[in-house]
Amino acid sequence: MRIIDITRRSARNLKQAKARTLLTALAIGVGAFALTLTLAASNGAQSFVNRVISDNFDPTEIIVAKDESILGRGDTNKPKEYDESFGSAVVNSGASVQIKQLTDKDIQKIRQYPEVSQVREGVTLTLEYITRPGAKKYVANAIDFSPAQNPEVVAGAIVKPLSDKTVLLPEAYVSSLGFKNPQDAVGKSITLAVRKSIDIASILQNGIPSNTNDIQELAKSSSALEQFKIAAVLKKPTTSQPGTELYLFISNKDAKALNDIAKIGTNQYRKYTYAYARVKNGENKANIATVQARLKKDGYTSQSVEETQKFLTQIIDVLKAIVAAFGFIAVIASVFGVVNTMYISVLQRTREIGLMKALGTRRKDISRLFRFEAAWIGFLGGAIGSLAAFLLGTVLNPWITKRLDLGTQKLLIFDLKQISILIVLLVLVAIFAGLLPARKAAKLDPIEALRTE
Amino acid sequence: MIEVKHISKTYGKKDSLLTALDNVSFSIPEGSTVAIIGKSGSGKSTLMHIMSGLDHPNDGQIVIAGKVLHDLKGKAMDSFRATEMSFIFQSFFVEANQTCFQNVSLPLEISELKQRKTKVIEALEAVELLDKINAKASELSGGQKQRLAIARAIVNKPQLIFADEPTGNLDSVTGDKIIDLLFKLNKTNKNTLIIVTHDDELAAKCQIRITLKDGKIIDFKQRKKVSK
Repeated sequence: MRIIDITRRSARNLKQAKARTLLTALAIGVGAFALTLTLAASNGAQSFVNRVISDNFDPTEIIVAKDESILGRGDTNKPKEYDESFGSAVVNSGASVQIKQLTDKDIQKIRQYPEVSQVREGVTLTLEYITRPGAKKYVANAIDFSPAQNPEVVAGAIVKPLSDKTVLLPEAYVSSLGFKNPQDAVGKSITLAVRKSIDIASILQNGIPSNTNDIQELAKSSSALEQFKIAAVLKKPTTSQPGTELYLFISNKDAKALNDIAKIGTNQYRKYTYAYARVKNGENKANIATVQARLKKDGYTSQSVEETQKFLTQIIDVLKAIVAAFGFIAVIASVFGVVNTMYISVLQRTREIGLMKALGTRRKDISRLFRFEAAWIGFLGGAIGSLAAFLLGTVLNPWITKRLDLGTQKLLIFDLKQISILIVLLVLVAIFAGLLPARKAAKLDPIEALRTE
Repeated sequence: MIEVKHISKTYGKKDSLLTALDNVSFSIPEGSTVAIIGKSGSGKSTLMHIMSGLDHPNDGQIVIAGKVLHDLKGKAMDSFRATEMSFIFQSFFVEANQTCFQNVSLPLEISELKQRKTKVIEALEAVELLDKINAKASELSGGQKQRLAIARAIVNKPQLIFADEPTGNLDSVTGDKIIDLLFKLNKTNKNTLIIVTHDDELAAKCQIRITLKDGKIIDFKQRKKVSK
C-alpha cells in the first residue's frame, strides 16, 4: 500500500473512535502543555538574562577581584591566609566577612597590561542620606555609572560618560523629594551627604581629647554635603542587577571622591572589592581569555560577561530541568495510554485486519497502519497541548509581566521552531508506544481473524 | 486451469490428530463456476483457505495457471492474492463506518492500482449501487451490503473469486438475486467462481459440484462442458 493511503486510512480509523482518540491524545497533551510552557518560560528567562547582561555590562569588560569569594569561587570551609589588603564587606544578614581587596597598586598593575585599555574601580557607596531644601532626608546608595549601562529614562537625558556632579535619580525618589513630576526634577539640585570617617589628621594634631563628650563628638564625626544636579530620572528598572533598583548613579570620578571622603583614615581607604578592566579589541573572545589568564597568573580572580551570563543561566537551567522532568513523566505516563488505546483498536478491528490480509495486504503495511494511527494520536496530543499552552501564555503574559514588574519583558516567549520539534518528538514517542500493538496486528492469522464475528 | 493435487491437511498431534483434508485432488477449468458442498466439519472451509493460499497444506500442491501457489513466498504470495483473487463472505465484512467508495477502493489501495475512481465506479455500476457511492455502508440493507462486497471483489478484476456462504445471511429472494448477480458477473468477467456452501439448490446452479465428507471427495459432478 502507498504511504498516503495508509495515512488516510489511519486518520479515518481515529475519526471513528473520536472520544477514545481525543482522551488518549489529551494525556499526551498534558505533557506537551507542560513542556511548551517550560520552553517558553526558559526562552523568556534567557532573554531576560541577556537583557540584564546587555543593559548592565560591556562585553569587552572583565570584572576583576582579588578575593575569590566575590565571584562565588572561594572555599568558605578553609581558613584564609591573612592579607594586608583585607577589608570587610557586608554580606547577607549584616554579617561582615573579611575579604581581600584591590588596592591602588593592584589597579595600577592591571593598567600596565598591554591588552587592557582602561581600568575602572567599582565603587558602591553607602550615602548617609540625600535630601533637598524642604524635603525629608532619605537613605540612599550611589554607584559609579558604567557607560555600558542603558537604564530607561523617564525625563532628562543621559550623557555618556556621565558629567561630574550630575546624578541619575530613580523615579521612586521624585515625589519623596518633593518634585511635582520627573520633568520637574531634571536640572534641579539635590544634596548627597557622606559620613566622614574619623579625622586622623586632627587627632594627630590635637591629640586624643581627654573629655568623654569630646571623644564621642569625634567618634560621631561629621557629614560632607555635596550638591548634585539631576541629569535624568530613571524608570523603575526591570533589568538591573537585583538589589540595585534604588541606586543613584554618579560619575566614576565623583564616586571615587565621595568614597575617599568616607573612607579616609580607615583601613578601607582606596580599596576596592572589584574593578572593571576593559580589554582592547574585547569583541574577540581570545583577547578576553588572554587577559583573564594574565590576571590569574598575577593572583586575581576574574569573570567575563560571558561567564556572568552562564552563571545566571545556570539557575534557570536547573528550574527548567525540574519542570521538564515533570513534563517527561507526563509523556511517559501517556505512552501507556497510547499502548492501551492501540491494543483496543487492534482488537476492535481484528476482522478488518483479517480481511485486509486475505486481500493481500503486506504485514509491514498492516503494522504501518497502526503505527501511523499512533503517530496521529501523538500529533494531535502535541498540537492540542502546545496550542493550549500558547493560548494560555498569550492571555497570561500581560498579567504576569505586570505582576512581576517586568516592564516590556515577556516572561513566556513561544518559539514556533521549538514547538514543531516538540510535536515531532511526541509523534516519535507515540509511534514507539504503538510498536507492540502494531506488531500484534501484523502477526494476526487472517483465518482466525475472519472467524471472529 | 486450477489444479488441486493430493492435498492433505491435519490439525493437532498424535492422539488428538484431526484430518481435515485427506488426499483431495481435482481440477477445474478457468472461468467455470464451482460449488464445494458438505456439512460443517467436512473440510470445505479448509479447502478454500488452502486454495486461496491463506493456509498451508501438509501435503500436495495447488497449481493456478501453471504456478505452484505455495511456492510463492511472502511478498509474492501477498501480491498474487492482491491481484489474482478476492473473497466474498457470509457476513459481508464491509466496513460499516466507511463509504461505499472507500470500501470498494480497498483492494485497489492494496495492489497500488491506478485510476481508482473509474474502477470503483465501474464496479459499483455492475452491482447497481452507484447511487450509494458516498453513502456509509452502515446505511445499506443486507442485500446491498453483499452487493457492495461483490463490487469490492470484482473491482481489481481477479481471475479467481471465493464466496464463502454468500447467501447465508440473506432471505431467499435477496439471496437469489445475489446468486444471479454472481453468475452474471462470472459470464461477463470470465473469472472462476468458487462457492463454498451447504445449500444444494445453489450448488445445483454451478457447472461443477464437489461434495466433501470427512475430508474426502465423495462426489464430483460436472454439469456440462465449460466453453472457454
